Formats: sequence, structure tokens, C-alpha cells
Amino acid sequence: MGKTRISGIQLFLLITGFLLGSRLIISPASESKTDGWLSILIAGAGGILLVTMYASIALLNPSRTLVEILRDRFGKIIGTIVAISYIWYFTHLAGLVFRDFGSFLVTTTYPRTPMEVIIAIFALTIIYAVNSGIEVMGRISEILVPIVPVLSLIIGASIVTTHDFTAFLPVLENGIKPVIKASLNLLAFPFGEAVVFLMIFPHLNKMKSLIKITTFSTLSVIGLFLYIFFRNIIILESHFLDQATFVPHLTSVLFPGLNLEPLFGVIMIIAGGIKIISAIYAAVMGLSQLIGAKDYRTFTTCIVAFSVILSIWVHENIFEVFNWAGNTWFYYSIPFQFIIPLILLFLSLIKKADPKPQDL
Amino acid sequence: MIAMNYSMFIVVLLFTILTLYDLWRFVRKKESVKVLIVFIIIMVSSLIIGVLLATGRRPASPSELIDRLLKMMGVIK
Repeated sequence: MGKTRISGIQLFLLITGFLLGSRLIISPASESKTDGWLSILIAGAGGILLVTMYASIALLNPSRTLVEILRDRFGKIIGTIVAISYIWYFTHLAGLVFRDFGSFLVTTTYPRTPMEVIIAIFALTIIYAVNSGIEVMGRISEILVPIVPVLSLIIGASIVTTHDFTAFLPVLENGIKPVIKASLNLLAFPFGEAVVFLMIFPHLNKMKSLIKITTFSTLSVIGLFLYIFFRNIIILESHFLDQATFVPHLTSVLFPGLNLEPLFGVIMIIAGGIKIISAIYAAVMGLSQLIGAKDYRTFTTCIVAFSVILSIWVHENIFEVFNWAGNTWFYYSIPFQFIIPLILLFLSLIKKADPKPQDL
Repeated sequence: MIAMNYSMFIVVLLFTILTLYDLWRFVRKKESVKVLIVFIIIMVSSLIIGVLLATGRRPASPSELIDRLLKMMGVIK
């Protein structure tokens, strides 16, 4: 790992921006309707455990990225195969966020512009940001991520006149099953996706504060998700929450005489951008470490290009994207987010308990 | 009659130019053969898929394949 370092606050904001990502434009836990707040709390508790597990793996393997840990713990052949799967997963994730971003802007702001053009223009900025390095990514998040909660609060405060404070009652009207399903989806998207940070954690300047940083990031995101959920349900009520494609956007256009729509575009560009930058950085860094390239920037353009093509290719329309994210993404993510990190944690703990002479 | 997606063609062209420029730099910097091969594989696969999408011949996407695999395993219905 090189000498490039990011501070605790930069990592905190990078993780926060990443976790907010495209979940800000798709209402968190809207599948469980009025019980969304319960799903957010359950998924949040699981999210804290998951992110702490990723941080523990990083602490048990100091200065090593996910690819290096995989090759070290699983051996060269299996480790390389698993590392390739992770590089694919990170690229796929970036492609899906590109698609969310493109679909959102085409549906709400630029209906006459082809989605491919919007995604490609955004991708050029992503290439520039990733090639600028992790320090610049840290500074970008330091400047831009605080804008996201501020804008969300402004939107909430602007439309608070239209409300029904009992809209989230009765509790568990449809039973516990939809709540659990929404919790699992929210756990995998976005909390489990933080596995990407196993490629970024080694850049932190003070590793001892890692668990504190990850926990605070996750708690902030849970808080913002709860705020967004209550804002949306108080203003829209549950039947609208279930019908709208981009729920927070619908919330913003309800207020007469005040155009809050561009604020959602800004939120999407910031949070979606941070998420794509982190995923692409992880994929590019992983690939360069796997191949043994001198510089990770070697693969930035080709991985971003592939990701852009993938974003157009992967689903035919936004409804397919939502359907896939709601029904398949969790199961597809299980090995990447839960099983392999658990095995890694277990193997790292064994290695720590019984170090070989060369590890000392 | 094939429905052409011209904006997709422009996007494919843009990224082809960018990646070809990178490739030219790598050849000049004498990057290892392994790096060049991986770079070319990713570049060519993006180009092929991009052209297929632009010409309206969309191949089965990874999400569809993952869906089928999970259905075959009985994980999803």
C-alpha cells in the first residue's frame, strides 16, 4: 500500500456519502410501507455489525487491501478467483449506480436527453476523480457530502406544511414479513456494499479509530434514512409511497410555487458520485494489484468504460432495475457481503491467535 | 430493419478513443504484456457489447444470467 493517506473525517464522510448513494432517491425501505422505520432500524443494527466486521478484517490485516487479504488467506489460486469475483462485483455495483443516476435524471430533469449521454458525461468526471487519487476523493467527500443532509433538511423544512403525522400508523399492519424483507434488502443495499471499503481502509492515517469512524458513519446514515422515511410518509402517506418510482422526488414536486426538484439532482450527483468513485476505485485498485500493474490508474478508463456499457446493458428499464434490486440483489450479494468476509474474519482471527514466525 | 441507437454509438466511440489513447501510452511506457492483455480484453468486450447495444442486438445481460442461476438453485422463484 502506498503512502497516500486520508484522515478520519474524510473516511467518515466517504462512507456516509457511499451509504447514502442512490438510496436517497429511492425511498429507503418503501417496500414495508408504513413500517419502513422498523425496517430501517433492523437493517441499521445489522449494518453496524456488518461494517464493524469489515473494519475488524482491516484491523486484523493492517496495510492490506481486500485482494491482498484474499490471496494471503485463501492461497494464490482460490484467492485470485475470489478477488476476480469481487472486482466484477464492484464494477457491477458501479454500473447499477450509473443506471440509477441516468434513469433518475432522464425521468425527472432531462426527459429529452438520451440516458447514455448523461451517464457518459458523468463517467468522464468519475475517471478524473478516480485518477486524482484517494486523497482527492477524501477531499471531495469532505466538501460535498455535508451538503446532502443540509439539502435534505431544507427540502423537509420547505414542505412540512403538507403533512399527516399519523401516516405511519398502525404499526405492523401487514405483519412482520414485509418488514423483514425490506430490512434484508436495506442491509444488502447499501450497508453490505460497504465491503468496497476493504480496498480503502488501509489508506486511513490512524487505523485505531477505524471502528469508531465506521460506526458513526452507519449511525448518521440510519438517522438520515429515518428522517427521509418520516418526511416522505408524513407528506405522501403510504399509498403514494408504494406507487411512486422516485418517492423523494415526488415529495419535492408536491409543494406549489417552489421548485425543489434541482436539489434532488444535486443530492444524486453528490451521493451517487461518491458511491461510483469508491466502487470504481476498489475495482481498479483490485485489478491492478491482481495483475501487478505499476499504477492503479492503468485500468481506470477501461473499467469505467465497461461499467458505463454495463449500466445500459444490465437492465432494459428502471422497473427492471427496481425489481432486480428488490428481489435478487440480496441473494446475489450474500457471498460477497456476508459469507466471504465472515470466512476472512475467522481465518484472520486464527492467524492472529497462532502467528507463524514470518508473521511476527 | 435494425433500430440504431446513435447516442450509444457516440458513447462507444468516445470511450474507444479514450481507451485507445491509454493503450498507446502504455505501449510507449513499455507496460507488461499481462497488463496490456487484460486491458485489451476489457476494452474489446466493452466495445463489442456497446456496438451490439447500439445496433439493437442486446445480448442476455449478467443480471438475467444471475437471475436464471439463482432460480435454478431454487433461491428465488
